[in-house]
Amino acid sequence: MTVTAPPVVLEAPSAHPDSEIKAGQGSKIFAWLIIVAGILYFFTPLVATGERAFRAIGGVFSFEAFRRILTDPGFVDTFGASVINAVLTIVVSLLVIVPTAYWVTLKVPKLRSVIEFITLLPFVIPAVVLVFGLIRMYSRPPLAILSSRESTRVVLICAYAALSFPYMYRSVDNGLRSINVRTLTEAAQSLGASWPTILWRVIFPNLRVALLSGALLTFAIVIGELTVALYLGQQTFGPYMANLVRNFVAEPAALTILSFGLTWGAMGLISYLTRRKPGRRRLRRQAVGAR
Amino acid sequence: MKRTMTLLAVFALLIAACSGDATTTTTAAGGGDTTTTAAAGGEMDALIAAAQAEGTITTIALPRDWCNYGGVIDTFTEKYGLEYNGLAPDAGSADELEAIRANQGSSGPQAPDVVDIGLAFGPDAKDEGLLQPYMVSTWDSIPEDAKDAEGYWYGDYYGVLAFEVNADAVDNVPQDWADLLNPEYNGQIALAGDPRVSAQAISAVFAAGLANGGSLDDPEGAAQAGLEFWAEVAAAGNLVPVIAESGTVASGETPISIRWTYNGLANRDANAEIAAIEVVVPASGRYAGVYVQGISAFAPQPNAAKLWMEFLYSDEGQNLWLDGYCHPIRYENLIAADAVPQDKLDRLPDVTGAVFPSLEQIGAASEVITTQWDAVVGVNVGG
Amino acid sequence: MTATSADSKRVGGVERPPRLRPRRSYFGWIGILPFLLFSTAFLLGPAAILFFRSFQSNEGGFTLANYQQLTDPQVLQSYGLSLRISFVTALVGGVFGFLLAWAVIFGGLPRFFRSLLTTFSGVASNFAGVPLAAAFIFTLGRIGLVTALFGFFGLELYDTDFSLYNFWGLTVVYMFFQFPLMVLTITPALEGLKREWREASENLGASSWEYWRYIALPVLMPSVLGTIILLFGNAFGAHATAYALTGGTLRLATILIGAQISGDVLQNQGLGYAVAMGMVVIMGLSIAVYTVLQRRAERWLG
Repeated sequence: MTVTAPPVVLEAPSAHPDSEIKAGQGSKIFAWLIIVAGILYFFTPLVATGERAFRAIGGVFSFEAFRRILTDPGFVDTFGASVINAVLTIVVSLLVIVPTAYWVTLKVPKLRSVIEFITLLPFVIPAVVLVFGLIRMYSRPPLAILSSRESTRVVLICAYAALSFPYMYRSVDNGLRSINVRTLTEAAQSLGASWPTILWRVIFPNLRVALLSGALLTFAIVIGELTVALYLGQQTFGPYMANLVRNFVAEPAALTILSFGLTWGAMGLISYLTRRKPGRRRLRRQAVGAR
Repeated sequence: MKRTMTLLAVFALLIAACSGDATTTTTAAGGGDTTTTAAAGGEMDALIAAAQAEGTITTIALPRDWCNYGGVIDTFTEKYGLEYNGLAPDAGSADELEAIRANQGSSGPQAPDVVDIGLAFGPDAKDEGLLQPYMVSTWDSIPEDAKDAEGYWYGDYYGVLAFEVNADAVDNVPQDWADLLNPEYNGQIALAGDPRVSAQAISAVFAAGLANGGSLDDPEGAAQAGLEFWAEVAAAGNLVPVIAESGTVASGETPISIRWTYNGLANRDANAEIAAIEVVVPASGRYAGVYVQGISAFAPQPNAAKLWMEFLYSDEGQNLWLDGYCHPIRYENLIAADAVPQDKLDRLPDVTGAVFPSLEQIGAASEVITTQWDAVVGVNVGG
Repeated sequence: MTATSADSKRVGGVERPPRLRPRRSYFGWIGILPFLLFSTAFLLGPAAILFFRSFQSNEGGFTLANYQQLTDPQVLQSYGLSLRISFVTALVGGVFGFLLAWAVIFGGLPRFFRSLLTTFSGVASNFAGVPLAAAFIFTLGRIGLVTALFGFFGLELYDTDFSLYNFWGLTVVYMFFQFPLMVLTITPALEGLKREWREASENLGASSWEYWRYIALPVLMPSVLGTIILLFGNAFGAHATAYALTGGTLRLATILIGAQISGDVLQNQGLGYAVAMGMVVIMGLSIAVYTVLQRRAERWLG
């Protein structure tokens, strides 16, 4: 039976599906306990690091360590470069993973384990092996891409996208599982949509939360990545941090706090920019066929 | 499913086959330069001109605070106007050689021109064809046993193992190996690396062995003695399973560490505001470690590389290393020629009596140490 | 191709017309070709060297000795240790991470907690290696903040059996990136729980606990399993944090590999590559196990 009522509304589920159902008192207390435990666990090491950072120079509380870092041109340059790399990596990763995950879910579920295996490979390939492998492959004709800093950056970004596959794929897969992919696709097809349209206007919007998760995870990976950037001679944030950490006590602690804070801020920005625009009515999902 | 796997495998194999592998050819990269020695005067000028035409020198594994490489780099670039491109300051010797191997035929900024590797790696790198020979103009003043007869690799500097101590955290600074067994140092001593992997840590074990009855004539025995010594230190609870670095010593997390004199002294200067660090060369069992330089057989900028070498082995370059508390390889020669200012000499720690193990001795001892560490010293990993 | 009964689906008691299936099953491949090409170019190709070098001896000739060495007690112990820490952190990380995500989405907490947790998890998920180890050393090391705090109250932590630098210490440290990873990755799945189900179950008189036990969790199980294997892989391949914390004394497989491939002293690189290939195989086996569990979980969903 197909729907005869008004056209299918392809909206994402509401942001807080259960928000209209009040959480019971017991649940609430439990939730608070969990959160408090989490906060304690996460913030204690950060506080300890902060304490080092402020106490750094000569045992007196001061901003000196922070000042030294913020006025170092290397910091700004490398962090900026890494942010740009991160954004580009996210784009590449999305473009590769989302259509693939969609296709696998829809058409060839049997190939799922193969894809999953490949996406999990970055975990077991040592970074040094990967970077030297890349150098071998792309240093010589006919694939001599690594001949200049700029072209190397392209290779770097593609390598980072590959490294983000485990996280991006899992997020997208979880997202796809939570929406009715098949039905959405059929409905869109019956309305005459082509594949690119389906992907862009139906699937992507419904995966907003999943894509955000994947993007945040990818961003974090790229900002902190060290080994590949190092051997490809790229001046990014990872090598900069490693260099500092080798020698000094105070600056690394301050750098950790700073980079943590900055990255958190960047994530907040990404999150804010991709949230649903205010004022858009929250439409109830129409049942498409019986579920 | 099977088809996918086969297709993937074929893909990967094809790509990997095309990208070449370990067997290397010894064709030197770079334009038509075949000089393997340099003479003073006119040839030097020609070399400088050729290097400047290339414009850049690419190095690897040279931290700025190691032996005052920072000063060396700055002086070199200012003097000759070349650009400096430093890769991976923390790379180990094996990674440096891998970088040469992987970058064969590449002229990009990832390919290193020169390497600074542990003594043990020199001959193997030469055998594998990763280096090209070059004899600097001061070649003859480099001690015989610190260089390859054909000029493929040559010792650059050495340091002596010393105790790097955070004097704020430790009341009685240890003066000799036996002191390390003292119970007052409970939980305070750490090696500067994993003794199964790091040359510095392995040296610490070997040196301890030499100080405890071992001798260079029987490196395996000395290595065994060293392992037993460290087992005692661990049993006394003095040894912690953390890698000591400048930061951990200065912060007091690992107040006592065994590192090369130049690392300890550089740390002392750099972190003077945070902690008072003392560097003590042990009274017995003084152990010297040599590093060697080499030019990559595939260096994209071979003339710049040669100029770099000329600079390093000139009086000026060797003195700059001295500033970093490293004993340059031409040390004796410089002293004899009065080429070192007295105040610099005074800053150096007294290292008389330090022994220089040969390649074979190091190799034999390393074999014992890396394989036996777990069994003899074996920190209990728990859990 | 004629429609078979397998092609049509029964939904709501009514047969739906069969979907158009492509003629040959190879067609499905085209869709994943971009992915395969990209992976080959930037992942499989560079990593192929792992495969070849694992058969190489130090002198350069072909050998199977590296693989034979995989049965050495030292190597087996490394694998065992890596597997243990991966399992433990995946399970504990999975459970607590799930609870964290649940708490901010369904727990009735203030709304802004949700985006705070999400963004924080983004940062924390990759906070690893030297900075993370340093942070915990500052906290629970010999002169750490918490250690000092305990000492202030008379409990000298390091006089007891406690140590940050052993298996359990490393587990505590690993959680810092495992929890957030779980939170971020399971959130889309939690989001997808239909409000209607909750309403329906309440209408039928089920308690909150019963809703979760009989409806929500089974539905979520495929995603949960998938995310746990992600955590497993994450811990399995982790190297920098363990190295920074214990200096290589905890002989995980990744540390063993690093020692062989990048060590400062001549080792056996071929062995390092062989151990890495072993890790690839283990990863593959884990996926096989996970796939079986996955199919079971999916069966419920029809």
